[in-house]
Amino acid sequence: MNKELTVIRICLLAVSLGLSSFANAATPQDLLKTYEYQSGKASPARGEQFFNAKHGKEWSCASCHENPPNHDTKHIVTGKVIKPLSPNANPARFTDEAKAEKWFKRNCNDVLGHDCTAQEKADVLAWLMTIK
Amino acid sequence: MKNFFTLIAAVLVASPAFAAKMPMPSDMPKSYEAECASCHMAYPPRLLGEKSWQNVMSGLNKHFGTDASLDAKDQKEISVWLQKNAATKQKYNVVAPENRITKTSWFIRKHDEIKADVWKRAGVKSPANCGACHTTAAEGIFSEKNISIPAK
Repeated sequence: MNKELTVIRICLLAVSLGLSSFANAATPQDLLKTYEYQSGKASPARGEQFFNAKHGKEWSCASCHENPPNHDTKHIVTGKVIKPLSPNANPARFTDEAKAEKWFKRNCNDVLGHDCTAQEKADVLAWLMTIK
Repeated sequence: MKNFFTLIAAVLVASPAFAAKMPMPSDMPKSYEAECASCHMAYPPRLLGEKSWQNVMSGLNKHFGTDASLDAKDQKEISVWLQKNAATKQKYNVVAPENRITKTSWFIRKHDEIKADVWKRAGVKSPANCGACHTTAAEGIFSEKNISIPAK
């Protein structure tokens, strides 16, 4: 009986470790759902417009990521190569919620001067997912 | 013979200029590459003094015109490492104006022959883009032999 319990405990531990190591893992679809859940249905067309427009400051998203963002681009100031932002061109994109949130925070501050709304994130992500 | 000694002396004096090696310390945390080198090259910590790194790291939400803020864990890890590996040579261990490597007197002196329009070329963009001309910058080698200035 004790032995059985130990086996069950080990299995539970293994499962929980396995799950925790994937805690951050996501797909672009997961992230899109999260942002839509916090706001409303995403509009790729609105996302495209948002991405390419300036919002009262010097840069747009496209200043560094270009349009369409499906190829290596260069940081507008430093010239550093930035890998493609579209998840179709770069499967590593939008697979880690914390990382996506970190970059939205930084880059929205650079482009808008404040955080993006969940709706804006949903729209942009929905558009990026349509880019081949 | 006198010329020969003059030549030797000239080589000895000049050689430090050709030996600008700034290898990355082997204990570089992964966060440095992931967080800092996403937007610019991973600058060798010896390019700035301890105080300047401290200043840079305490103002990341306004980092040369961009928001480069970090979470507390990465912030601490990178700060400690940069300060531990900061410039020790007197020449580099200066408080950099605006905390910019490119505004230190040694940087300006080293690049005084570069005309203003060269910095603005599309292939260069900024003095912060070491690798545009220093072809081995990523390996921390800034030797004058390894320079190729983009024509446009």
